[in-house]
This record gives sequence, C-alpha cells and structure tokens, in this order.
Amino acid sequence: MDTYDYIIIGAGHNGLVAAAYLAKKGKKVIVLERRDIVGGQVITESFGDGFTVDSLHAGGTLRPDIIKDLKLASFGLGIDSVRKPFISLQEDSNHLVLDPDPAKAAESIKRFSEKDAANWKPFLDFMDKASRFIHLANETIMPRLPKNFSFNEGLGLAEIGLDLRLMGGVDMMRVIRGIPMTAEEFADEWFESDVVKAAVASLGIHGFTLGVMGAGTGYTLMHNWANRGGMSHVSVQGGVGKISEALGSAVKSFGGEIRMGAEVKHIQVDTYTCKGVVLKNGEEISASNIISAADPKHTLLTLVGAMNLPPEFVWNVQSIKMRGSVAKVHLLTDGKHGIPAGTVAVAPSIKYLEKAYDAAKYHQISEKPYLEVTTSGNVVSVHFQYAAYKLKSGEWKVESKKVENVAIDTLAEYFPDLKSSIVNRKSLTPLDLEQTYGLTEGDLNHGQIMLDQFMFMRPIPGWSNHKTPMDNLYLCGSGVHGGGGVSGAAGRNVVKVLK
Amino acid sequence: MRQLRNTPFHERTSALCQPQNWRKWAGYFVVGSYEHTIDREYWAIRNAAALIDVTPLMKYIIKGRDAARLLDRVTTRDIQKLKVGQVYYTGWCDDEGKMIDDGTVSRLDETTFRMTAAEPNLRWLMMNAVGLDVQIEEQTEGVASLSLQGPNSRSVLKRVCETDIEGLKYFRLMKNILGGVEVTISRTGYTGDLGYEIWMNAKDALKVWDALMEAGHDYGITPVGILALDMARVEAGLFMLEVDYTSASHAWIEAQKSSPFELGLDWTVALDKPGYFVGRRALEREKKEGSAWKLVGIEIDWVGMEQLYAEVGLPPQIPGSAIRASMPIMVGNVQVGYASTASWSPLLKKYIALAHLQKPYYELGTDVRMEITVEHQRKHAPAKVVKLPFYEPEWKKK
Repeated sequence: MDTYDYIIIGAGHNGLVAAAYLAKKGKKVIVLERRDIVGGQVITESFGDGFTVDSLHAGGTLRPDIIKDLKLASFGLGIDSVRKPFISLQEDSNHLVLDPDPAKAAESIKRFSEKDAANWKPFLDFMDKASRFIHLANETIMPRLPKNFSFNEGLGLAEIGLDLRLMGGVDMMRVIRGIPMTAEEFADEWFESDVVKAAVASLGIHGFTLGVMGAGTGYTLMHNWANRGGMSHVSVQGGVGKISEALGSAVKSFGGEIRMGAEVKHIQVDTYTCKGVVLKNGEEISASNIISAADPKHTLLTLVGAMNLPPEFVWNVQSIKMRGSVAKVHLLTDGKHGIPAGTVAVAPSIKYLEKAYDAAKYHQISEKPYLEVTTSGNVVSVHFQYAAYKLKSGEWKVESKKVENVAIDTLAEYFPDLKSSIVNRKSLTPLDLEQTYGLTEGDLNHGQIMLDQFMFMRPIPGWSNHKTPMDNLYLCGSGVHGGGGVSGAAGRNVVKVLK
Repeated sequence: MRQLRNTPFHERTSALCQPQNWRKWAGYFVVGSYEHTIDREYWAIRNAAALIDVTPLMKYIIKGRDAARLLDRVTTRDIQKLKVGQVYYTGWCDDEGKMIDDGTVSRLDETTFRMTAAEPNLRWLMMNAVGLDVQIEEQTEGVASLSLQGPNSRSVLKRVCETDIEGLKYFRLMKNILGGVEVTISRTGYTGDLGYEIWMNAKDALKVWDALMEAGHDYGITPVGILALDMARVEAGLFMLEVDYTSASHAWIEAQKSSPFELGLDWTVALDKPGYFVGRRALEREKKEGSAWKLVGIEIDWVGMEQLYAEVGLPPQIPGSAIRASMPIMVGNVQVGYASTASWSPLLKKYIALAHLQKPYYELGTDVRMEITVEHQRKHAPAKVVKLPFYEPEWKKK
C-alpha cells in the first residue's frame, strides 16, 4: 500500500491550490475527489446538447500570486481582460448600467442622482483600498484567540493593522466601521439614490443568508467586492471550470495525483493522529498528513467523528451556521432571450432585497427574489436568492419547479422574449448543492461569513489557523479564514502552516 | 428562587431531626445532625450501623449500544473493563485534564450504566454523546438512595434482604428484595468502612427505611446526618467537590482547577486504554512532567499544638466537627500549600487534615506547619505529611 505525504480531500479550487503548492515542493500528494470532475464549486458542466454553463459561480479569479507561483497561464488559464458592466434592472427599463469605465458609469448614475454620479469615482477608490485590506487579511493566518497567541501570529495582525493605518485616518475608520455595518448603511454613506444603493448593497448579500439590513453585510460587501475586483463578475474564457482544469494540470505536472470518483467515507484515526482514509469502496489510503478541502462540519463530524474530538470543540463545530439559501436556474435558449451581456441584477431597491431575504428567515422561497444573471451565448444562468435549505413546507424535489418558475417569471417582466426562447432548463436547489456538490446545507461558503464566524472566529474560535485537534489534519476549504468565494487564499494559506 | 426539595425520606428524617439542623445538598434539604452533638452519629458509623439519606447524589442512567463508549470517553477509567455488577469510582475531566466532578459508574447490564455525580452533569454527558447511540436519563428524583455504613451494616442487611448479601464484594452490586420492594445494593460508601448503598424507586423509600430501622435495631442502627459523615470521610481520605477541589466547569481562574493526579487519583487514570478520552493529552503530559500539586493527608502534632495554646494559658481547642476552611501550610516562612478540610478524629485521637501541597513538599514524611488561630492570633502548628487514608479497617474490603 502506498503512503503519501499528503492526502487532500476534495478537488475544489482550494484543495487543488494546496495540492499544487505541495506537489511543487516535491511532496507526494494525492487529491481524492468524489465526483468525476475537478473543481468543486468552480466548474463548468454540461446539462445537455449545447447547454454548457458555469454551474455555481458565474466567474472568478484566483489571487495573482497563485496564478504566478503555479504558472497557471502555461496550463491554459486565461482571464477575460474585458470586464463587462454590472446592470441593475429597473421596471421602467431605465436600467442602471455600471460600466467598468467610471466615467461611463457616472453617466448612467446621473440619471438617478447627480450627487451619486460625482461620488462614484471616490467610492471606487475607497473600495480599492478596502479590497487591498481584505486581501491582506485573507492571506494572513489568523491567531488562535483567546489561547496560544504567539509573537509570530501577532506579526501578521500587526501587518494588517499597519496596512489599515496607511490608508489614512478617514478610510481606515471607514473600513473598520464598515465591517459590522449593514450593506444598506454602508451604501447610505456614499449614495442618496435608492437604485444605486440597492445595486451596491446587493454585493453584500450575494451568496449569503443575510439581508441588506443585516449586521455584517458591510463586511461581506467588501469581501465580495475584493474577490470580484469590482461590481461585476470576471468571466473566464471557456468557463470558470478552466481555472480548475489549469490547477489540475498544474498538480499533475508537479507530480501530484488526482483520483476521481474517490469518495472518502471516513478518516482513520489513532488517538491524536490520522493514519489515512477509507474510501466508499472500502479501499484504504494512508498518508502522513491529511488536508481537507471539504467543509469543517462534514470533515470533523462525519469523516473524523465526534468521538475522536474534544467535547467543546465538537460543540463549536456543531454550532457552525451553514444555512444555505442559494439556488441556481440555468436556461438554454434559442438565443433570443434579450438579456444584455454583463452581470445583470434584479435588485431594484433596498426594501425589495430585504423582503426577498424574509423568505430565508421563514424557511421559504422568495416570491420576489434577488437575482443575478449572466449569459454566455444561448445560455442564461440565474443566481437565485433566497431559497431556504430547510423548507417550512414542501420538499425540494417538488419545490425546485417553483424556483424555476419564479426566476423565469421575474426575469420575463424585464425581458418579455425570454419565456418563448427557453429550450431547456436545469435548476440546482440547496439540496442539490448538498447532495451533488457536497456542500453541507447547501452553503457555498462552507459556513456563513458572519461577524461571529469570520477572521479569527473562522471556522470556530480558537482554531482559526487551519489546524484541528488531530495533529496531522488540516482544513483548507472555504470554511476557514481566507475562504468564501473564489480566490484560492485558503488553499494557499494552509501550506504556510504545515510543518 | 427555586425552593429546596425534600427527599422521599423526609417524613422519617424530619420526625427524628431534633436540632432542626438542616443542610443544603444539591437542591435538597438533608439532615446535618439528628442530635445536638454529633458524637453518637459518628460512632454509629465506626462501631455499629449508620443510616444516611444520600438521595441528593445526582444519578444518571446511561443506556444503549454505545453507553460504554460514552463513559469511556467521558471518564478516566477503562469502562470497557467494567464487568456487569461491578462499580468503578472515577473522576472526569475537561479537555485540559482538570477535574469536573467525581462519582461512581455501575454497570447494571451489558448496555446500561448508572453514574453518580455531585453536581448536574447532564449537559456534559449530552455534549459528549454526539453521534452515539445512547440515551441519557437523569434519575436523581426518581431514585432514592440510602447509605448503610459501619461494621454492622452487613449483619443488618442479612436480616432483611431476600437474597443473601454475604458474597457481595467490595465495589460490586446486586439486585435484591428489601422490605418487600425491589432494590439494588452496591457495596460502596463515603466512610471508608464496611458499607452499602441501597438504590430504590422513590415511591418505595419509606418501606425500605422502615425495614432497615426495624432489622437494625439490635445492631445499633442510627440515622446519621451529613456532619458526622463529613468527619468519617476525612478519616477515609475521601475528598469532596467544592470543598477540597473546585470543578473545572466553574472555577474562576486556572489556579483553582485540579487534575486527577493532583488529587491523588493516579490509580483511576487509565492512560493505557485505547483511543481518545476527554483530557487524555493533558493527563499524559502531566504524568510525564509530574504534578505541581498533590492532595495529601497531614497529621497535626498534638504536643506542638498544645504548646501554642499553653502559651496563652489554654488547653487545645478543637472544633467538634470537620472544618471546611482554607488553612495555610508553611515550610519555614514560605507557604507551600493549604489544608481544605480538617477534622478531629475521635477514633484515631488525632487532629488530621486533607491538604494540597506544592512539589516537592507533598512527599510522605515532610515536616510542615499548619496555621491555626490561637486566641485570635495566627500560629503555626507542626504537622507531618502522612499516607492516606488515615483510617482503613480490615473489614472495609473483606
């Protein structure tokens, strides 16, 4: 039986980033993926003839240092250099078009408010600074508060602190105040038009089970902005799956192995150490270390098992809030859908967004949802919020139709030709996200990014540095600090803490 | 505030409790002493048969396929080795290896256990049972318990039990019929003497009490309160939660917590059992590095103490019951620990104490001095570290 230096559970982008860095260092690495496709959430799948789509994330970029370190361009990764606009749909067809060119965006904003138009450029400048701070924070290994706070851990924090200070007093305070704020308040500080405010605030709820009036959506707004590099998605030539394919090629070229259809059933444990894994087919694979890119709840409670872990730790892991409420509706059309290119949002007002969120609170499906739509040729891809993972009534098998219909009806109000153009449809409910993509409770973030689950409290307080009570088990998925969205930070960071 | 409850024996105990000396124990009223002085009750424990209401002990039934796994995880003992009908004394720790509580675990059948504890532990048990096939039920109210302690206790039970008690070994239990009702009898106790604890359905409590009182009459059976019990347990070298140590679950500061090694429970920590158990890593470390503290027995030198009193013209003053107070222990001018319970031992005719001493002063035979207050002045009486228990009659385990 082969023994590996590292088993990496899950070929999501973070798992692949970690695997590639380790393989590059000459470590003997194997990535185990339960599906027959690499990428986890960062994939492009086909749901029928001509029906190929970015299943979960409509775009994304890895951190530039990762692309450079792993030479991903040489493995076929190209990023669409032309950023398309972010369009906020309005009932009267007077859409807000936030072009990547600030001057053009200001022109569109002017139709809603002269003052907001003037503020757009300063706002972008501030968000650039805020993004830099988020990136720096995301590449810093968080200290294990309140225990084991060492000098080295303090250095990372000091660096973040210094970076904040160097922004200048006003912007530093803005970022610090912005973190616990609601997305609405955050947007309020800059804009007067409800249309502009809602468009900006929608970034604070994208992918999260929070409303624009929820505390901490100021932070998630900055978080999403930083990962996207702006308002609109950065699409990838050939689909986001290219990112994962390039990463997979990198892993293999550095000598790492990737095994498909290899679902880990459990991790073998000997008191404080992991010996290896047992696959669903009964096969055992041993390794000196295990890194899990799966979510913390699944990794620790299912794969390791509560019996092997301290009770307080187990309690904290059980308490991680997952609460997925995102559904996807993909439509294959004959091309006459009428939806413009770019990132198209149904986020007409702050109140509309908050009301959409009410459904998630009460375990329902929004009747008037917040949508974000992207197109690629004939394919229309809809990100749907909110569709609660735990439904108050009904089952997801049946209710998936409701999500499809609400999404299509909502969009058809803006694009009357859409309905007649639909040839095929594929929806992904929170339950599909769990069962097909292995996301506990359908949570794209492996645990909500909320004020009590971020930074040094992610995934749980006291264990924010990728380590676990098992001496040789590490976490590197979205559920740890640096994760949430597409960037590869969590996968990159874990390599830094390995012995 | 919630009212203190009466135990199922209250009808009998309250009629006998002359001085209205009631004590609070885990949410219940129990008798402190039945008479104005506790001498007769104390001597019943050591020379006859003492009947003590111990119902307030927290009792949990842990049942199911994984019951043994749960207890193996929570306690420091190797529960897989506990046989049906056997009882283990054990402590349990938090993950830092600091004691939360201590009590007994009885294996009633292959998959059913009874755990006793001084304080509520239901949440802790539930927290540890994640993913296990196990049911945990608290039975503190539903199950009444009596402790029958003293050299005559076996003779009393032999008269009143349907099945002979003779063969019941130390820390074993059996089912029996007593006073016409079903009971479980374990050969356990808190006195370090020959003794038994009788577990019964709360509704049968008075029947059992009456049967024992009647059968024990000729053997000097005496209802005994917890003040006399407190003296006996010090002689037996048995410590008490929240008197001699603080539970890790409500200590204010780290220094207040104690490990099982620090409490002298080395023999209960099964580091050779397989797999993780709560506190294992910390306990392994402490075992390797040695403990900073140790709970020991000290004997205060009578002659030395007499001199301190003689200086002010008094004979030694010794309280009539165990003292639950912290008394500094010195070596030279340096404090090296403290006594947490001290008691006059009427049987040994010695002034003894349970004391926490720092390394290396906890070694047997070490000369120390314990603070006493002589006519409002602090003095230090000479004392010596001795082996625990102070008193262990040959019939305890026979």
